Amino acid sequence: MATVSFQQASRIYPKAERPAVDALDLEIADGEFLVLVGPSGCGKSTSLRMLAGLEEVDTGSIVIGDRDVTDSPPKERDIAMVFQNYALYPHMTVEENMGFALKLAGISKDERATRVREAAKILDLEAYLARRPKALSGGQRQRVAMGRAIVRNPQVFLMDEPLSNLDAKLRVQTRTQIAALQRRLGTTTVYVTHDQVEAMTMGDRVAVLKDGVLQQCDTPGELYDRPANVFVAGFIGSPAMNLVTGDAVDGGVQVGGAVLPVPRDQLTRAAASNGTVTVGFRPEAVRLAAPGEGLPVRVEVVEQLGSDAFLYTSLADAPDDVLHSADLVVRTEPRSGVTSGQQLWLSTDRSALHVFDAQTQQRVD
Amino acid sequence: MTIASGTVREAAIAAPPPAPAATSPARPRKRRQLTRNRWGYAYVAPFFLVFAAFSLYPFMYTAWVSLHETSLSNINGGTWVGLENYRDLLQSEFFWNATRNTFTIGILATVPQLCMALGLAHLLNYKLRGRTFFRTVMLMPYATSIAAATLVFSQLFGRDYGLINTMLEAVGLQAIDWEAGTVSSQVAIAVIVTWRWTGYNALIYLAAMQSIPGELYEAAEIDGASKWKQFLHVTIPSLRPTILFTIVVSTIGAVQLFGEPLLFAGNGTTSGGASGQYQTLGLLMYQQGWSNFHIGQAATTAWAMFMIILVIVGVNAVIGRLRNRADR
Repeated sequence: MATVSFQQASRIYPKAERPAVDALDLEIADGEFLVLVGPSGCGKSTSLRMLAGLEEVDTGSIVIGDRDVTDSPPKERDIAMVFQNYALYPHMTVEENMGFALKLAGISKDERATRVREAAKILDLEAYLARRPKALSGGQRQRVAMGRAIVRNPQVFLMDEPLSNLDAKLRVQTRTQIAALQRRLGTTTVYVTHDQVEAMTMGDRVAVLKDGVLQQCDTPGELYDRPANVFVAGFIGSPAMNLVTGDAVDGGVQVGGAVLPVPRDQLTRAAASNGTVTVGFRPEAVRLAAPGEGLPVRVEVVEQLGSDAFLYTSLADAPDDVLHSADLVVRTEPRSGVTSGQQLWLSTDRSALHVFDAQTQQRVD
Repeated sequence: MTIASGTVREAAIAAPPPAPAATSPARPRKRRQLTRNRWGYAYVAPFFLVFAAFSLYPFMYTAWVSLHETSLSNINGGTWVGLENYRDLLQSEFFWNATRNTFTIGILATVPQLCMALGLAHLLNYKLRGRTFFRTVMLMPYATSIAAATLVFSQLFGRDYGLINTMLEAVGLQAIDWEAGTVSSQVAIAVIVTWRWTGYNALIYLAAMQSIPGELYEAAEIDGASKWKQFLHVTIPSLRPTILFTIVVSTIGAVQLFGEPLLFAGNGTTSGGASGQYQTLGLLMYQQGWSNFHIGQAATTAWAMFMIILVIVGVNAVIGRLRNRADR
């Protein structure tokens, strides 16, 4: 068990235009479940591999516990990793796969068997110990990969998109299992995913990366309620936050023919750079207003989910140059009776508005 | 042969009057499959025709000849002797001598050759500067004619002015009469074979190594495996089918060893040295048929070689299957 810290850690691939990971600063507490999330190519896997020792750290340093491991080979870092494709040794049985690291560490056969059996019991793999990976289902292989990590009882677990090869239903199931297992073992875990739902549901804290730069690292709740910039606002949450950009006018932001009301001091600070402001509001923060009030929109598609419904709408009278973002999404009661093609008026609570400087993309409170 | 049996079966299926589908549902489907695949059969036909004419027929004819007392000048006019040739062969000390030599040279050549090939392939699998150059160079011995290579090597192994003896003497060791001794001559021949085939096998291994997923090595590295342990626990097990394949191919090559010992003698004789110390089965067969004109006896030896290959390949296949079963 240990803390992990990235200190200005960068990875610059030869001949690359910009660093794959740019001066990453992250402090991960002992026993914490931290999720690295971002779109593909954002440097999240590279960060994890730097921590694993599979990728060089060009500048900065990485510390596990109180040991600087920047230049240590993987085996000296006391970490275990779960790979996206599991990377199970095809010629070894489940038991041998799980016990391989222990065998290399010179641990006696009896103790090895005991520890493998313990892990297998936790993961419900006892019946498959004598099988080879190719005789297992995807979910079982995933559990073997997990088992290989936990038998070692390492200081840190590293997981590189461990669920992306499972089907949707199994993924949801395994997601909770991994989170529960991590809470039970209390081992510091760094988890990489591109799926923001996975990130939000599993992590104690979530670090959002884009283009190798850390955007924000916070609890799922804070990320959702107070995204630090436009990128995080749009990335976290499903359906995504509605983001509209327009000129600051008296009392609010000009969106199409209507004005979205924004508190005065927020508006002045957000408009300070170039006069345009990006305003975000989540689908669930939108109310249907009386005709003639708020933003006029046209309903394009109605998505019925049973528990609620999503209306995909577009601004009724928006010139293209004003509305940079696509449609506005509204969550409503499942049986609201709204049909596509219908004209609606939307309003939002001022407290639910997220205001960003359109130039710097940063949040303004 | 294959074609013939194929057409016969097709004819047999086509012949019976169309039965009601309910009574034999399998038949129409089979026929449909055959007619659907007719172009496939047509395209493979030329190969099998050539195969039948130039491989299968000589093969069977050799078997036929081996049952006769016959000479090279009158192959078809031999007298039927049944298995007499085989009995003679099994009682012949020349046959056993040649078999022994073939095996010892085979082992002396194959084992180091495959081990070195594996090591070389492993090294070439690293990111090296000029990797393509090294890979090409490795294949060059394979592209060299046996005759040229063996001539050079018999110079190297020459007793009086050979480079190797000169070097041995330079470091204060005694010169070796490579050609005259049993062990030394066989080692020398094994060196030629190894030199010629190592690169070829290395390339086969290299190709197989490149298909091993890199994640396996990363997983092993995190598990704490040194480079050597990774080679032992990841590379070798992943290469097992390839290794089995190269063993089979090298073994077949070793049993048929002919050119190197023939040319190593330097005078074109097939006796394999003064006391037959490096006469292989291939040389023996040639000697029987083309020096002594006993073509029936030569055919028998040829078949004996074929049987030996069959046994070795069979054993390999059984081992492979047992390992596969253990894998499941």
